[in-house]
Amino acid sequence: MNPTHFLTSERVLKAYVFTILLFLALPIIIVVPLAFSTDVSLTFPPHGFSLRWFANILARREFAAAFLNSAIIAILSTAIALVIGIMSAIAFARFRFPGRETLLLLFMTPLIFPAIVLGAAMALMLSPLGLLRSVQGLALAHTVLIFPYILRTALATLFEIDASLHEAAYTLGANRWQTFRHVILPLLRPGLLAGATFALIISFDEFTVSMFLVGPGLMTLPLEMYNYSEFSLDPTIAAISTVLLVITSIAILIIEKLVGLGRQFS
Amino acid sequence: MTAAVAGITDEIERAPRARVDFARLATLIALLAPAAALLGIGLVWPFLMMLGISFQDKFPDPTALTFANYSTALTDPYFLRITLRTFAMALVVTATTAVLSYPVAWFLARSQSRWKHLVFLAVISPLMVSIIVRTIGWTIILGNEGLINAMLAGLGLVTEPLRLMQSFWSVVVGMVHILIPFMVLSIATVLGKIDPAYAEAAAVLGASPRRNFLKIMLPLSVQGIASGSVIVFCLTVGAYVTPVMLGRGQVAVLAVTIHEQMVVLVDWPTGAAVAMVLTAGTLIVLLLYGVFLRRHSRR
Repeated sequence: MNPTHFLTSERVLKAYVFTILLFLALPIIIVVPLAFSTDVSLTFPPHGFSLRWFANILARREFAAAFLNSAIIAILSTAIALVIGIMSAIAFARFRFPGRETLLLLFMTPLIFPAIVLGAAMALMLSPLGLLRSVQGLALAHTVLIFPYILRTALATLFEIDASLHEAAYTLGANRWQTFRHVILPLLRPGLLAGATFALIISFDEFTVSMFLVGPGLMTLPLEMYNYSEFSLDPTIAAISTVLLVITSIAILIIEKLVGLGRQFS
Repeated sequence: MTAAVAGITDEIERAPRARVDFARLATLIALLAPAAALLGIGLVWPFLMMLGISFQDKFPDPTALTFANYSTALTDPYFLRITLRTFAMALVVTATTAVLSYPVAWFLARSQSRWKHLVFLAVISPLMVSIIVRTIGWTIILGNEGLINAMLAGLGLVTEPLRLMQSFWSVVVGMVHILIPFMVLSIATVLGKIDPAYAEAAAVLGASPRRNFLKIMLPLSVQGIASGSVIVFCLTVGAYVTPVMLGRGQVAVLAVTIHEQMVVLVDWPTGAAVAMVLTAGTLIVLLLYGVFLRRHSRR
Protein backbone atom coordinates (compact mmCIF):
# COMPACT_ATOMS: atom_id res chain seq x y z
CA MET A 1 0.00 0.00 0.00
CA ASN A 2 1.08 3.56 -0.63
CA PRO A 3 2.54 4.80 2.69
CA THR A 4 1.51 8.40 2.14
CA HIS A 5 -2.12 7.53 1.59
CA PHE A 6 -1.92 5.89 4.97
CA LEU A 7 -0.68 9.01 6.73
CA THR A 8 -2.65 11.64 4.87
CA SER A 9 -6.06 10.00 5.01
CA GLU A 10 -7.23 10.90 8.51
CA ARG A 11 -9.79 8.10 8.66
CA VAL A 12 -7.37 5.33 7.68
CA LEU A 13 -4.79 6.68 10.13
CA LYS A 14 -7.32 6.79 12.97
CA ALA A 15 -8.42 3.21 12.30
CA TYR A 16 -4.77 2.12 12.31
CA VAL A 17 -3.98 3.93 15.57
CA PHE A 18 -7.04 2.33 17.14
CA THR A 19 -5.80 -1.14 16.07
CA ILE A 20 -2.39 -0.54 17.64
CA LEU A 21 -4.00 0.71 20.86
CA LEU A 22 -6.07 -2.49 20.93
CA PHE A 23 -2.88 -4.52 20.43
CA LEU A 24 -1.26 -2.65 23.33
CA ALA A 25 -4.24 -2.97 25.66
CA LEU A 26 -5.46 -6.50 24.96
CA PRO A 27 -2.76 -8.53 26.80
CA ILE A 28 -3.14 -6.22 29.78
CA ILE A 29 -6.93 -6.18 30.20
CA ILE A 30 -7.40 -9.84 29.29
CA VAL A 31 -6.04 -10.93 32.69
CA VAL A 32 -8.91 -9.19 34.54
CA PRO A 33 -11.84 -11.45 33.55
CA LEU A 34 -9.71 -14.54 34.18
CA ALA A 35 -9.05 -13.43 37.75
CA PHE A 36 -12.76 -14.01 38.52
CA SER A 37 -12.96 -17.38 36.76
CA THR A 38 -13.93 -20.68 38.43
CA ASP A 39 -11.61 -22.66 36.11
CA VAL A 40 -8.46 -24.09 37.62
CA SER A 41 -6.25 -23.03 34.70
CA LEU A 42 -5.88 -19.86 32.63
CA THR A 43 -8.53 -20.85 30.06
CA PHE A 44 -10.23 -18.51 27.63
CA PRO A 45 -13.14 -17.83 27.70
CA PRO A 46 -13.42 -18.01 31.51
CA HIS A 47 -16.35 -19.82 33.15
CA GLY A 48 -18.40 -18.83 36.18
CA PHE A 49 -17.62 -16.18 38.76
CA SER A 50 -15.61 -16.57 41.94
CA LEU A 51 -13.36 -14.65 44.27
CA ARG A 52 -11.46 -17.74 45.38
CA TRP A 53 -8.25 -16.70 43.57
CA PHE A 54 -8.21 -13.42 45.43
CA ALA A 55 -8.70 -15.38 48.64
CA ASN A 56 -5.82 -17.61 47.58
CA ILE A 57 -3.49 -14.58 47.39
CA LEU A 58 -4.18 -13.90 51.06
CA ALA A 59 -4.03 -17.57 52.02
CA ARG A 60 -0.55 -17.92 50.55
CA ARG A 61 1.54 -15.90 52.93
CA GLU A 62 4.51 -15.67 50.55
CA PHE A 63 2.68 -13.17 48.32
CA ALA A 64 2.03 -10.74 51.18
CA ALA A 65 5.65 -11.07 52.33
CA ALA A 66 6.98 -10.51 48.82
CA PHE A 67 4.65 -7.52 48.35
CA LEU A 68 6.00 -6.00 51.56
CA ASN A 69 9.63 -6.60 50.51
CA SER A 70 9.03 -5.04 47.10
CA ALA A 71 7.35 -2.01 48.71
CA ILE A 72 10.20 -1.48 51.22
CA ILE A 73 12.87 -1.82 48.51
CA ALA A 74 10.96 0.54 46.18
CA ILE A 75 10.52 3.22 48.85
CA LEU A 76 14.12 2.96 50.05
CA SER A 77 15.69 3.11 46.59
CA THR A 78 13.38 5.93 45.45
CA ALA A 79 14.26 8.02 48.51
CA ILE A 80 18.01 7.58 47.95
CA ALA A 81 17.72 8.14 44.19
CA LEU A 82 15.72 11.34 44.85
CA VAL A 83 18.45 12.88 47.01
CA ILE A 84 21.32 11.86 44.71
CA GLY A 85 19.30 12.69 41.58
CA ILE A 86 18.40 16.22 42.73
CA MET A 87 22.00 16.93 43.74
CA SER A 88 23.45 15.91 40.39
CA ALA A 89 20.60 17.61 38.48
CA ILE A 90 21.54 20.91 40.17
CA ALA A 91 25.17 20.34 39.17
CA PHE A 92 24.19 19.77 35.53
CA ALA A 93 21.68 22.61 35.41
CA ARG A 94 23.67 25.32 37.17
CA PHE A 95 27.32 24.59 36.30
CA ARG A 96 29.28 24.56 33.04
CA PHE A 97 32.31 22.31 33.26
CA PRO A 98 34.49 20.31 30.84
CA GLY A 99 33.11 16.85 30.08
CA ARG A 100 29.60 17.84 31.19
CA GLU A 101 27.81 16.21 28.23
CA THR A 102 29.85 13.00 28.50
CA LEU A 103 29.25 12.71 32.22
CA LEU A 104 25.51 13.18 31.74
CA LEU A 105 25.56 10.42 29.11
CA LEU A 106 27.47 8.15 31.53
CA PHE A 107 24.94 8.84 34.28
CA MET A 108 22.19 7.70 31.88
CA THR A 109 23.83 4.34 31.04
CA PRO A 110 21.73 2.24 33.47
CA LEU A 111 18.76 2.95 31.13
CA ILE A 112 20.21 0.82 28.31
CA PHE A 113 22.81 -1.31 30.10
CA PRO A 114 21.83 -5.01 29.75
CA ALA A 115 19.95 -5.80 32.97
CA ILE A 116 21.05 -9.44 32.90
CA VAL A 117 24.72 -8.37 32.98
CA LEU A 118 24.14 -5.83 35.73
CA GLY A 119 22.27 -8.40 37.83
CA ALA A 120 24.97 -11.06 37.53
CA ALA A 121 27.74 -8.53 38.20
CA MET A 122 25.86 -7.21 41.23
CA ALA A 123 25.57 -10.75 42.61
CA LEU A 124 29.34 -11.20 42.16
CA MET A 125 30.03 -8.07 44.15
CA LEU A 126 27.45 -8.55 46.90
CA SER A 127 28.08 -12.24 47.53
CA PRO A 128 31.48 -11.90 49.30
CA LEU A 129 30.04 -9.01 51.35
CA GLY A 130 27.24 -11.29 52.57
CA LEU A 131 24.66 -8.95 51.05
CA LEU A 132 22.94 -11.44 48.73
CA ARG A 133 19.27 -11.82 49.64
CA SER A 134 19.41 -8.56 51.61
CA VAL A 135 17.21 -5.48 51.40
CA GLN A 136 20.36 -3.31 51.22
CA GLY A 137 21.73 -5.17 48.20
CA LEU A 138 18.46 -4.99 46.28
CA ALA A 139 17.97 -1.33 47.21
CA LEU A 140 21.46 -0.51 45.89
CA ALA A 141 20.73 -2.25 42.57
CA HIS A 142 17.34 -0.56 42.21
CA THR A 143 18.78 2.86 43.09
CA VAL A 144 21.25 2.48 40.21
CA LEU A 145 18.39 1.56 37.87
CA ILE A 146 16.00 4.39 38.78
CA PHE A 147 18.57 7.14 39.35
CA PRO A 148 18.59 8.17 35.63
CA TYR A 149 14.79 8.60 35.61
CA ILE A 150 14.93 10.92 38.63
CA LEU A 151 17.90 12.82 37.21
CA ARG A 152 16.07 13.32 33.90
CA THR A 153 12.86 14.57 35.53
CA ALA A 154 14.69 16.87 37.94
CA LEU A 155 16.86 18.27 35.15
CA ALA A 156 13.86 18.95 32.89
CA THR A 157 12.06 20.73 35.75
CA LEU A 158 15.15 22.76 36.75
CA PHE A 159 15.64 24.04 33.21
CA GLU A 160 12.12 25.45 33.31
CA ILE A 161 12.75 27.46 36.47
CA ASP A 162 13.56 31.04 35.59
CA ALA A 163 17.14 31.96 36.53
CA SER A 164 15.94 35.41 37.60
CA LEU A 165 14.21 33.75 40.56
CA HIS A 166 17.66 32.88 41.92
CA GLU A 167 18.83 36.42 41.52
CA ALA A 168 15.70 37.77 43.16
CA ALA A 169 16.20 35.45 46.15
CA TYR A 170 19.89 36.42 46.47
CA THR A 171 19.06 40.12 46.18
CA LEU A 172 16.51 39.76 48.93
CA GLY A 173 19.25 38.34 51.15
CA ALA A 174 18.72 34.59 50.93
CA ASN A 175 21.79 32.37 50.92
CA ARG A 176 22.25 29.36 48.64
CA TRP A 177 20.56 26.89 50.98
CA GLN A 178 17.64 29.21 51.75
CA THR A 179 17.16 29.82 48.03
CA PHE A 180 17.10 26.06 47.40
CA ARG A 181 14.83 25.31 50.36
CA HIS A 182 12.24 28.09 49.87
CA VAL A 183 12.35 28.88 46.13
CA ILE A 184 13.71 25.99 44.08
CA LEU A 185 12.40 22.97 46.00
CA PRO A 186 8.73 24.08 46.03
CA LEU A 187 8.94 24.64 42.26
CA LEU A 188 10.53 21.21 41.76
CA ARG A 189 7.99 19.39 43.91
CA PRO A 190 5.28 18.40 41.37
CA GLY A 191 7.85 17.17 38.84
CA LEU A 192 9.74 15.24 41.50
CA LEU A 193 6.58 13.66 42.93
CA ALA A 194 5.67 12.43 39.46
CA GLY A 195 9.22 11.18 38.88
CA ALA A 196 9.23 9.45 42.26
CA THR A 197 5.91 7.71 41.56
CA PHE A 198 7.32 6.47 38.27
CA ALA A 199 10.53 5.31 39.99
CA LEU A 200 8.50 3.45 42.65
CA ILE A 201 6.70 1.52 39.91
CA ILE A 202 9.94 0.71 38.04
CA SER A 203 11.54 -0.64 41.21
CA PHE A 204 8.41 -2.51 42.27
CA ASP A 205 8.19 -4.29 38.88
CA GLU A 206 11.93 -4.92 38.40
CA PHE A 207 12.66 -8.55 37.53
CA THR A 208 15.92 -9.31 35.72
CA VAL A 209 18.45 -7.69 38.06
CA SER A 210 16.56 -8.79 41.18
CA MET A 211 16.51 -12.40 39.93
CA PHE A 212 20.21 -12.74 40.84
CA LEU A 213 19.85 -11.09 44.24
CA VAL A 214 16.78 -12.78 45.76
CA GLY A 215 16.38 -16.24 47.20
CA PRO A 216 14.68 -18.19 49.95
CA GLY A 217 14.08 -15.76 52.79
CA LEU A 218 13.91 -12.63 50.63
CA MET A 219 11.69 -12.61 47.54
CA THR A 220 10.20 -9.70 45.62
CA LEU A 221 6.68 -9.84 44.20
CA PRO A 222 7.55 -10.18 40.47
CA LEU A 223 9.92 -13.07 41.28
CA GLU A 224 7.33 -14.71 43.54
CA MET A 225 4.72 -14.40 40.76
CA TYR A 226 7.14 -15.89 38.25
CA ASN A 227 8.00 -18.82 40.53
CA TYR A 228 4.31 -19.48 41.15
CA SER A 229 3.54 -19.41 37.41
CA GLU A 230 6.34 -21.94 36.85
CA PHE A 231 4.56 -24.66 38.79
CA SER A 232 0.93 -23.65 38.50
CA LEU A 233 -0.85 -21.57 35.88
CA ASP A 234 -4.06 -21.16 37.88
CA PRO A 235 -5.88 -17.80 37.95
CA THR A 236 -4.14 -16.72 41.19
CA ILE A 237 -1.57 -15.01 38.95
CA ALA A 238 -4.39 -13.23 37.09
CA ALA A 239 -5.84 -12.11 40.44
CA ILE A 240 -2.51 -10.61 41.59
CA SER A 241 -2.12 -8.99 38.19
CA THR A 242 -5.56 -7.40 38.62
CA VAL A 243 -4.55 -6.00 42.01
CA LEU A 244 -1.33 -4.63 40.48
CA LEU A 245 -3.28 -3.08 37.59
CA VAL A 246 -5.46 -1.18 40.08
CA ILE A 247 -2.33 0.13 41.88
CA THR A 248 -0.70 1.08 38.55
CA SER A 249 -3.84 2.92 37.42
CA ILE A 250 -3.80 4.96 40.63
CA ALA A 251 -0.12 5.80 40.05
CA ILE A 252 -0.84 6.88 36.47
CA LEU A 253 -3.68 9.11 37.69
CA ILE A 254 -1.37 10.70 40.29
CA ILE A 255 1.34 11.47 37.72
CA GLU A 256 -1.22 12.69 35.19
CA LYS A 257 -2.76 15.06 37.76
CA LEU A 258 0.63 16.38 38.89
CA VAL A 259 2.47 17.11 35.65
CA GLY A 260 1.09 14.90 32.89
CA LEU A 261 2.45 11.45 32.15
CA GLY A 262 4.14 12.61 28.96
CA ARG A 263 6.63 14.72 30.89
CA GLN A 264 8.11 11.54 32.30
CA PHE A 265 9.46 10.50 28.94
CA SER A 266 10.34 13.59 26.94
CA MET B 1 19.39 44.11 35.47
CA THR B 2 20.04 46.04 38.66
CA ALA B 3 19.42 42.85 40.59
CA ALA B 4 22.07 41.03 38.57
CA VAL B 5 24.58 43.86 39.03
CA ALA B 6 23.85 43.96 42.75
CA GLY B 7 24.44 40.21 42.95
CA ILE B 8 27.81 40.47 41.19
CA THR B 9 29.13 43.40 43.26
CA ASP B 10 27.91 41.56 46.33
CA GLU B 11 30.01 38.52 45.49
CA ILE B 12 33.06 40.58 44.60
CA GLU B 13 32.87 42.35 47.93
CA ARG B 14 32.43 39.12 49.83
CA ALA B 15 35.44 37.23 48.51
CA PRO B 16 38.38 37.54 46.16
CA ARG B 17 37.79 36.14 42.66
CA ALA B 18 39.97 33.04 42.99
CA ARG B 19 38.29 31.96 46.21
CA VAL B 20 34.83 32.25 44.66
CA ASP B 21 35.90 29.86 41.88
CA PHE B 22 37.33 27.44 44.39
CA ALA B 23 34.10 27.48 46.38
CA ARG B 24 32.11 26.83 43.21
CA LEU B 25 34.39 23.93 42.29
CA ALA B 26 33.98 22.44 45.75
CA THR B 27 30.19 22.78 45.49
CA LEU B 28 30.21 21.12 42.07
CA ILE B 29 32.28 18.18 43.32
CA ALA B 30 30.11 17.81 46.42
CA LEU B 31 26.97 17.76 44.25
CA LEU B 32 28.31 15.13 41.84
CA ALA B 33 30.16 12.91 44.35
CA PRO B 34 27.14 10.88 45.58
CA ALA B 35 26.05 10.04 42.01
CA ALA B 36 29.61 9.11 41.04
CA ALA B 37 29.87 6.92 44.14
CA LEU B 38 26.51 5.26 43.40
CA LEU B 39 27.42 4.37 39.82
CA GLY B 40 31.00 3.51 40.79
CA ILE B 41 29.89 1.03 43.45
CA GLY B 42 26.68 -0.13 41.79
CA LEU B 43 27.68 -0.35 38.12
CA VAL B 44 31.37 0.16 37.28
CA TRP B 45 32.93 -1.93 40.06
CA PRO B 46 30.66 -4.98 39.62
CA PHE B 47 31.15 -4.76 35.85
CA LEU B 48 34.95 -4.74 36.23
CA MET B 49 34.73 -7.75 38.56
CA MET B 50 32.79 -9.62 35.90
CA LEU B 51 35.25 -8.54 33.21
CA GLY B 52 38.04 -9.99 35.37
CA ILE B 53 36.22 -13.29 35.87
CA SER B 54 35.69 -13.66 32.12
CA PHE B 55 39.50 -14.11 31.82
CA GLN B 56 39.80 -16.64 34.66
CA ASP B 57 40.08 -20.38 34.09
CA LYS B 58 38.04 -21.15 37.19
CA PHE B 59 35.78 -19.29 39.57
CA PRO B 60 36.27 -19.04 42.46
CA ASP B 61 40.00 -19.69 43.03
CA PRO B 62 41.52 -19.11 39.56
CA THR B 63 44.84 -20.73 38.68
CA ALA B 64 45.53 -18.91 35.41
CA LEU B 65 44.34 -16.15 33.11
CA THR B 66 42.99 -17.29 29.76
CA PHE B 67 41.15 -16.28 26.60
CA ALA B 68 39.53 -19.73 26.42
CA ASN B 69 36.16 -18.44 27.69
CA TYR B 70 36.00 -15.93 24.85
CA SER B 71 36.96 -18.49 22.23
CA THR B 72 34.17 -20.71 23.61
CA ALA B 73 31.67 -17.83 23.66
CA LEU B 74 32.54 -16.72 20.13
CA THR B 75 33.26 -19.97 18.26
CA ASP B 76 31.41 -22.82 19.98
CA PRO B 77 28.46 -23.63 17.63
CA TYR B 78 26.05 -23.71 20.58
CA PHE B 79 26.86 -20.17 21.72
CA LEU B 80 27.30 -18.92 18.16
CA ARG B 81 23.78 -20.02 17.23
CA ILE B 82 22.33 -18.33 20.32
CA THR B 83 24.25 -15.10 19.65
CA LEU B 84 23.07 -15.03 16.04
CA ARG B 85 19.48 -15.78 17.08
CA THR B 86 19.55 -12.99 19.68
CA PHE B 87 20.86 -10.35 17.29
CA ALA B 88 18.56 -11.54 14.49
CA MET B 89 15.63 -11.28 16.89
CA ALA B 90 16.71 -7.77 17.92
CA LEU B 91 16.85 -6.70 14.25
CA VAL B 92 13.41 -8.17 13.48
CA VAL B 93 11.89 -6.61 16.61
CA THR B 94 13.50 -3.21 15.91
CA ALA B 95 12.32 -3.09 12.28
CA THR B 96 8.80 -4.30 13.12
CA THR B 97 8.47 -1.86 16.01
CA ALA B 98 9.66 1.07 13.87
CA VAL B 99 7.20 0.33 11.04
CA LEU B 100 4.26 -0.24 13.41
CA SER B 101 5.05 2.83 15.55
CA TYR B 102 5.66 5.44 12.86
CA PRO B 103 1.99 6.11 11.95
CA VAL B 104 1.05 6.30 15.66
CA ALA B 105 3.83 8.83 16.27
CA TRP B 106 2.65 10.72 13.20
CA PHE B 107 -0.87 10.86 14.58
CA LEU B 108 0.38 12.08 17.98
CA ALA B 109 2.64 14.73 16.49
CA ARG B 110 0.46 16.11 13.72
CA SER B 111 -3.21 15.32 14.22
CA GLN B 112 -5.63 17.94 15.56
CA SER B 113 -7.91 15.25 16.97
CA ARG B 114 -9.43 15.85 20.39
CA TRP B 115 -8.61 12.24 21.25
CA LYS B 116 -4.90 12.96 20.95
CA HIS B 117 -4.17 13.20 24.66
CA LEU B 118 -6.12 10.04 25.40
CA VAL B 119 -4.23 8.17 22.67
CA PHE B 120 -0.99 9.44 24.17
CA LEU B 121 -1.98 8.10 27.60
CA ALA B 122 -3.00 4.77 26.10
CA VAL B 123 0.36 4.43 24.36
CA ILE B 124 2.57 5.13 27.37
CA SER B 125 0.50 3.61 30.19
CA PRO B 126 1.61 0.04 29.31
CA LEU B 127 5.15 1.10 30.29
CA MET B 128 3.97 1.25 33.88
CA VAL B 129 2.34 -2.19 33.88
CA SER B 130 4.42 -5.04 35.30
CA ILE B 131 6.20 -7.02 32.58
CA ILE B 132 5.08 -10.23 34.31
CA VAL B 133 1.43 -9.13 34.01
CA ARG B 134 1.86 -8.32 30.31
CA THR B 135 3.60 -11.61 29.58
CA ILE B 136 0.90 -13.56 31.46
CA GLY B 137 -1.56 -11.70 29.22
CA TRP B 138 0.21 -13.02 26.12
CA THR B 139 0.14 -16.51 27.61
CA ILE B 140 -3.65 -16.18 27.88
CA ILE B 141 -3.89 -15.01 24.26
CA LEU B 142 -1.43 -17.44 22.65
CA GLY B 143 -1.75 -20.50 24.93
CA ASN B 144 -3.26 -23.84 23.91
CA GLU B 145 -6.41 -22.93 25.86
CA GLY B 146 -6.04 -19.28 24.96
CA LEU B 147 -8.02 -16.63 23.13
CA ILE B 148 -6.73 -17.28 19.61
CA ASN B 149 -7.10 -21.05 19.80
CA ALA B 150 -10.60 -20.65 21.31
CA MET B 151 -11.57 -18.38 18.41
CA LEU B 152 -10.09 -20.69 15.77
CA ALA B 153 -11.82 -23.70 17.31
CA GLY B 154 -15.10 -21.75 17.54
CA LEU B 155 -14.90 -20.97 13.83
CA GLY B 156 -14.20 -24.64 13.15
CA LEU B 157 -10.84 -23.83 11.54
CA VAL B 158 -8.78 -26.12 13.75
CA THR B 159 -9.58 -29.40 15.48
CA GLU B 160 -6.67 -29.36 17.90
CA PRO B 161 -4.97 -26.26 19.30
CA LEU B 162 -2.14 -24.64 17.34
CA ARG B 163 1.13 -24.40 19.25
CA LEU B 164 1.58 -20.62 19.16
CA MET B 165 3.83 -20.28 22.19
CA GLN B 166 7.35 -21.70 22.50
CA SER B 167 8.37 -20.16 19.20
CA PHE B 168 10.69 -17.43 17.97
CA TRP B 169 7.71 -15.47 16.67
CA SER B 170 5.74 -15.55 19.92
CA VAL B 171 8.75 -13.95 21.63
CA VAL B 172 8.95 -11.36 18.82
CA VAL B 173 5.27 -10.47 19.32
CA GLY B 174 5.77 -10.11 23.08
CA MET B 175 8.86 -7.94 22.64
CA VAL B 176 7.23 -5.70 20.01
CA HIS B 177 4.31 -5.20 22.39
CA ILE B 178 6.62 -4.10 25.20
CA LEU B 179 8.77 -1.82 23.05
CA ILE B 180 6.23 0.05 20.86
CA PRO B 181 5.78 2.85 23.45
CA PHE B 182 9.54 3.62 23.47
CA MET B 183 9.63 3.84 19.67
CA VAL B 184 6.45 5.96 19.40
CA LEU B 185 7.83 8.44 21.95
CA SER B 186 11.20 8.76 20.18
CA ILE B 187 9.65 9.34 16.76
CA ALA B 188 6.84 11.62 17.99
CA THR B 189 9.33 13.88 19.81
CA VAL B 190 11.27 14.47 16.58
CA LEU B 191 8.18 14.74 14.34
CA GLY B 192 6.66 17.30 16.70
CA LYS B 193 9.68 19.59 16.26
CA ILE B 194 9.47 19.70 12.44
CA ASP B 195 8.12 23.03 11.23
CA PRO B 196 4.87 22.30 9.28
CA ALA B 197 5.95 25.05 6.87
CA TYR B 198 8.40 22.63 5.20
CA ALA B 199 5.67 20.23 4.13
CA GLU B 200 3.40 23.12 3.13
CA ALA B 201 6.14 24.71 1.05
CA ALA B 202 6.79 21.41 -0.73
CA ALA B 203 3.06 20.99 -1.40
CA VAL B 204 2.77 24.52 -2.78
CA LEU B 205 5.76 23.84 -5.04
CA GLY B 206 3.87 20.88 -6.48
CA ALA B 207 5.20 17.87 -4.56
CA SER B 208 2.72 15.01 -4.41
CA PRO B 209 1.84 13.79 -0.90
CA ARG B 210 3.94 10.68 -1.57
CA ARG B 211 6.96 12.69 -2.71
CA ASN B 212 6.45 15.15 0.13
CA PHE B 213 6.57 12.32 2.65
CA LEU B 214 9.52 10.46 1.13
CA LYS B 215 11.63 13.56 0.39
CA ILE B 216 10.73 15.90 3.26
CA MET B 217 9.10 14.31 6.32
CA LEU B 218 10.81 10.91 6.38
CA PRO B 219 14.40 12.29 6.12
CA LEU B 220 13.62 14.91 8.76
CA SER B 221 12.33 12.27 11.17
CA VAL B 222 15.17 9.76 10.66
CA GLN B 223 16.79 10.92 13.90
CA GLY B 224 13.72 9.83 15.89
CA ILE B 225 13.66 6.44 14.20
CA ALA B 226 17.39 6.05 14.94
CA SER B 227 17.22 6.93 18.64
CA GLY B 228 14.12 4.76 19.10
CA SER B 229 15.83 1.88 17.30
CA VAL B 230 18.87 2.09 19.58
CA ILE B 231 16.68 1.82 22.68
CA VAL B 232 14.59 -1.02 21.24
CA PHE B 233 17.65 -2.93 20.00
CA CYS B 234 19.52 -2.65 23.31
CA LEU B 235 16.46 -3.69 25.34
CA THR B 236 15.78 -6.66 23.03
CA VAL B 237 19.29 -8.17 23.07
CA GLY B 238 19.27 -8.04 26.88
CA ALA B 239 15.68 -9.27 27.38
CA TYR B 240 15.12 -12.21 29.72
CA VAL B 241 11.50 -12.39 30.91
CA THR B 242 9.73 -12.50 27.53
CA PRO B 243 11.98 -15.17 25.92
CA VAL B 244 11.70 -17.34 29.04
CA MET B 245 7.96 -17.02 29.61
CA LEU B 246 6.77 -17.08 25.99
CA GLY B 247 9.56 -19.31 24.65
CA ARG B 248 9.15 -21.75 27.55
CA GLY B 249 12.61 -23.27 27.13
CA GLN B 250 12.42 -23.50 23.34
CA VAL B 251 13.84 -20.06 22.48
CA ALA B 252 17.37 -19.68 23.86
CA VAL B 253 18.72 -16.13 23.70
CA LEU B 254 21.86 -14.61 25.23
CA ALA B 255 20.22 -13.42 28.45
CA VAL B 256 18.71 -16.85 29.10
CA THR B 257 22.05 -18.54 28.37
CA ILE B 258 23.99 -16.20 30.65
CA HIS B 259 21.61 -16.95 33.50
CA GLU B 260 21.80 -20.67 32.79
CA GLN B 261 25.63 -20.71 32.65
CA MET B 262 25.96 -18.83 35.90
CA VAL B 263 23.10 -19.99 38.07
CA VAL B 264 22.26 -23.49 36.78
CA LEU B 265 25.67 -24.73 35.55
CA VAL B 266 27.66 -22.52 37.97
CA ASP B 267 30.20 -21.85 35.20
CA TRP B 268 30.78 -18.16 35.91
CA PRO B 269 33.83 -17.59 33.63
CA THR B 270 32.00 -18.77 30.47
CA GLY B 271 28.83 -16.95 31.53
CA ALA B 272 30.87 -13.79 32.11
CA ALA B 273 32.47 -14.05 28.65
CA VAL B 274 29.01 -14.44 27.04
CA ALA B 275 27.84 -11.43 29.09
CA MET B 276 30.78 -9.41 27.73
CA VAL B 277 29.80 -10.39 24.17
CA LEU B 278 26.30 -9.10 24.87
CA THR B 279 27.62 -5.87 26.40
CA ALA B 280 30.01 -5.38 23.46
CA GLY B 281 27.10 -5.81 21.02
CA THR B 282 25.16 -3.11 22.87
CA LEU B 283 28.22 -0.85 22.90
CA ILE B 284 28.81 -1.25 19.14
CA VAL B 285 25.22 -0.24 18.42
CA LEU B 286 25.67 2.84 20.63
CA LEU B 287 28.90 3.79 18.87
CA LEU B 288 27.25 3.41 15.45
CA TYR B 289 24.48 5.69 16.71
CA GLY B 290 27.10 8.23 17.83
CA VAL B 291 28.67 8.18 14.35
CA PHE B 292 25.24 8.56 12.78
CA LEU B 293 24.40 11.54 15.01
CA ARG B 294 27.66 13.29 14.10
CA ARG B 295 27.08 12.76 10.35
CA HIS B 296 23.44 13.74 10.66
CA SER B 297 24.09 17.02 12.50
CA ARG B 298 26.84 17.95 10.03
CA ARG B 299 24.45 17.86 7.09
